[in-house]
Amino acid sequence: MWHIAKRELYDNLNSLRFALTTVLLLALMLTNAIVHLREHPKRVQKYNDAVTGYENRLASYANESLYLLAQQGPGDLHKKPSPLHFCAEGGDAFLSGTVNAGDPFMYSADMTGVWKLSYPAVTPNLENVRPDAIKLDWGFIIGYVLSLVALLFTFDAISGERERGTLRLMLANSIPRHTVLIGKFLGALISVSIPFTLSVLINLLVISTDSDLHLNAEAWERLGIIFCIALLYMSLFLALGLLVSTRVRQSAVSLVILLLVWVTLVVFMPNTLASMTGEFSPSMLSGEFWKRYRQLHQELDEKYEDRVWSDNSDIKTLTARSEYFSLHVVLDERLNEDRLNLQINQFRHARSIIRVSPVAIVQHLLESFAGTGFERHLQFIENTQRYARHFREFVVDTDRKDPKSRHLIGIREGMAEKPVSPASVPKFEDTLSLSKDFNTRAMELLLLTLFVMVLLSGAYLAFVRVEV
Amino acid sequence: MMMTLIRRELLNNLMTFRFAAVLLITLLLVVANTGVLIKDYEQRLESYNASVKTHYREIQEKETYSAGEVEVDRPPNPLSIFNVGLDKRLGNEIWISHNNVPTLWEARMNASDNPYLNILSSIDIVFIFEVVLSLMALLFAYDALAGEREHGTLRLVLTHSVRRGHILLAKYISAMLCLLVPLLLSLLLAMVLLTTTVSISLSADDFLRIGGIVLTSIAYLSVFYLIGLLISAVTQRTGTALMLAMFVWGALVLVYPNLILAAIRSSDIPQAKAVSAFNQIKQVWDEFDRERKQYLATDAFPGEDPTFNINGMGFFYEHFPEEPRTLLYLYNSMMTFGKLDEKFEREIPHAQNYFQFLIPSTIKTAERAWLIRKQALEDTLVRKANMKRVLLKFSPVGMYDAATQAWAGTDLRGVRDFFDAVRQYRLTFIDYLDSKNAFASQKWFTADAGAADWRALPTFSFKRSSIEINAKRALPDMFLLLTMNLLLFTIIFLVFIRSEV
Repeated sequence: MWHIAKRELYDNLNSLRFALTTVLLLALMLTNAIVHLREHPKRVQKYNDAVTGYENRLASYANESLYLLAQQGPGDLHKKPSPLHFCAEGGDAFLSGTVNAGDPFMYSADMTGVWKLSYPAVTPNLENVRPDAIKLDWGFIIGYVLSLVALLFTFDAISGERERGTLRLMLANSIPRHTVLIGKFLGALISVSIPFTLSVLINLLVISTDSDLHLNAEAWERLGIIFCIALLYMSLFLALGLLVSTRVRQSAVSLVILLLVWVTLVVFMPNTLASMTGEFSPSMLSGEFWKRYRQLHQELDEKYEDRVWSDNSDIKTLTARSEYFSLHVVLDERLNEDRLNLQINQFRHARSIIRVSPVAIVQHLLESFAGTGFERHLQFIENTQRYARHFREFVVDTDRKDPKSRHLIGIREGMAEKPVSPASVPKFEDTLSLSKDFNTRAMELLLLTLFVMVLLSGAYLAFVRVEV
Repeated sequence: MMMTLIRRELLNNLMTFRFAAVLLITLLLVVANTGVLIKDYEQRLESYNASVKTHYREIQEKETYSAGEVEVDRPPNPLSIFNVGLDKRLGNEIWISHNNVPTLWEARMNASDNPYLNILSSIDIVFIFEVVLSLMALLFAYDALAGEREHGTLRLVLTHSVRRGHILLAKYISAMLCLLVPLLLSLLLAMVLLTTTVSISLSADDFLRIGGIVLTSIAYLSVFYLIGLLISAVTQRTGTALMLAMFVWGALVLVYPNLILAAIRSSDIPQAKAVSAFNQIKQVWDEFDRERKQYLATDAFPGEDPTFNINGMGFFYEHFPEEPRTLLYLYNSMMTFGKLDEKFEREIPHAQNYFQFLIPSTIKTAERAWLIRKQALEDTLVRKANMKRVLLKFSPVGMYDAATQAWAGTDLRGVRDFFDAVRQYRLTFIDYLDSKNAFASQKWFTADAGAADWRALPTFSFKRSSIEINAKRALPDMFLLLTMNLLLFTIIFLVFIRSEV
């Protein structure tokens, strides 16, 4: 078997396609690294500036009074950029990097409500007039280019030998057929892996030259996993190539079939299928959203109208006002969350359907291991929600410690007026954890492995039964 | 002789497996995608119609003239089904008021009911042709000469008194005929789907535009066929030719556009030019603000209160919102009261005089700021984007994309036509206010003595540019594609004439 693999390898190493693949992959990976080196510091800088702004804002309110802190809230919460952004860009242009936790409702010039959590609803880059193309990340290089290369290396593996007559010659020796097949598979795997590994290494070398972009141990672990996923994905297309090559008499026909399959699997299935299925699960249209919003507020206003707006500040009015403010926020947040959940479910639904295409699987996997993309966005949103709860508890607890306060949150007369030490205010920290990623992605990994197994055994069955 | 050659080539091509496969896959993809795209268009149209209705109702409900900020919507382009371009990406809703000349950078999006779905990019018909048909053209071409050379039939043909140019021409014509079958058939099916959809009404001009798209597609297809033929002419073996063709395809279609866009990413940091323009705009408004304050200080009413102590059910605000990145800076103020608390008989004439002075001055300042902003936006944002567009055109994919976008009217120029129309409409809007003598009337800020009258306000409607303009925009790129065709054919001819069989 090793003999066959070695022969295959030598054959490939001397071929034109090997040289072209090496050049192509190297060029792509180098561009990816250079772009990352140029873009990532800017991203980190932007995030750091935003965090500083957030902390300053928080400190300025904390130094004023607990009341202002409870009214204005923590402000914009920012998503931390992933150091592995070059692996998968993950639709970042369409996912907003902030969740707003501030923006209290102004009832009148001298009456302001309490902050609330709201999620930006619109795509952030509306004013971008530049032409766009798919981002050149590892996801693209692996998902599109590497799969095409894998097919180009295997389309004539069996049919080519049959055409030349060397297959008959080889089988005349006492070699079992599965050994031939596995030998061919391994040979192709190694010969595609060589340029790929080389380009990955050079990419990482270039990226690690910059001391600012420090990749820690966890990042390397993730890169290792991503590399293994790439190999698995490559094997899938190698197996597919072998399968078709076995069944078809002429290499040219084999290539035509493979290219058509590739176009369907890689270019069209992820896009068209998703657009088709996006419609099936319901979502809240913005018209409907505003209708519900108005309705909720009208009901609330009717209930509290006569108790809240009187000018005297007796304890009854203040209590009612505090209740009204907090109910207002609760209703708003619930509605926002309802809409968000519907949107997420609709998107998840569409995404789970396109799992039939291996390129979609591999891109989801890459996104989740690189810490970008949709799942990461959900984690970020979850983090902000947890933080919002934490922040509210902090305000209530601090207020409770003050004996002079009337414990009416959101009302100037009802809360502690003393300043709070900025250090004691909880800070938002965006985190991402690998173990959680792994749980959600284990299924997709299994699915990918299953694809490979099915295709390989299909190729084996086809090859065993084929006449030479 | 020529006819015999063509017939032979045609039969050779038509009876192959690849022809059937290409036909099948193109038809399938185009039909499936057209269905999706039509649905998407209908949804956008629906949300456009709903939005127009809401905006109409909103303006009619405004009680004072100062509260009258009209919002207008950009209708979705039905030809975005062919090439979506920027039609879905740029904002489609914009506010119009006297104090700012609107540009596309202030536009918002009304149809983003689920922003996450935008991550799943949908593909249009031109994209299918761009990716799949180019691949197919190469598949038809790679063995045209190399294959015959391998089989030895080329030598056989050349022993007859056939000119080499004729052989090339025959091969070209017959392969193009074969490639036209999937192209035209799939387009035909797409057109059937389009014309049977009730919500889409295509005008005669639209059919001409689609005709332009078809012509461009043929020229594009021919470029890729010729590239394949060139590779086939210079290589000895079909295997090598195929390999080279695949890599050329990958490089031109997938890699080059990404590489060139990645190589010249523009920075988000405003350049010196933008900063100076922004400061200039700010100065213009500062000057305006000084005059305004001076007026308030010197008028007959004591104090500098811009509300003249008038109070009632409603609100007042004034501020200078700014967005340095898009050079937006303006004086935004609104004073609108429904029922007044008391009669304010003494104050109202003062306020009327003030607004009669203020609003024309605001309009004038907005125009002055716009002259600076227009040039600066062009220099900083648009020119950079257009430079990228030019660089993309070094690949035939870029030329094809640009030409079809121009035909469909979904390119940047097409979208900007809308904003030109919006700016025109703003003048109509101001004229309307003027005709109602709104600035000098107390209806500008209060509905105490009757509400503002919006009934006769002309509605905004946008007509896409005429077919001549589309053609004028598309022709340079089509010309480039045709030149490329000629150039490639000449090269192939020269190579083939001098090659040994």
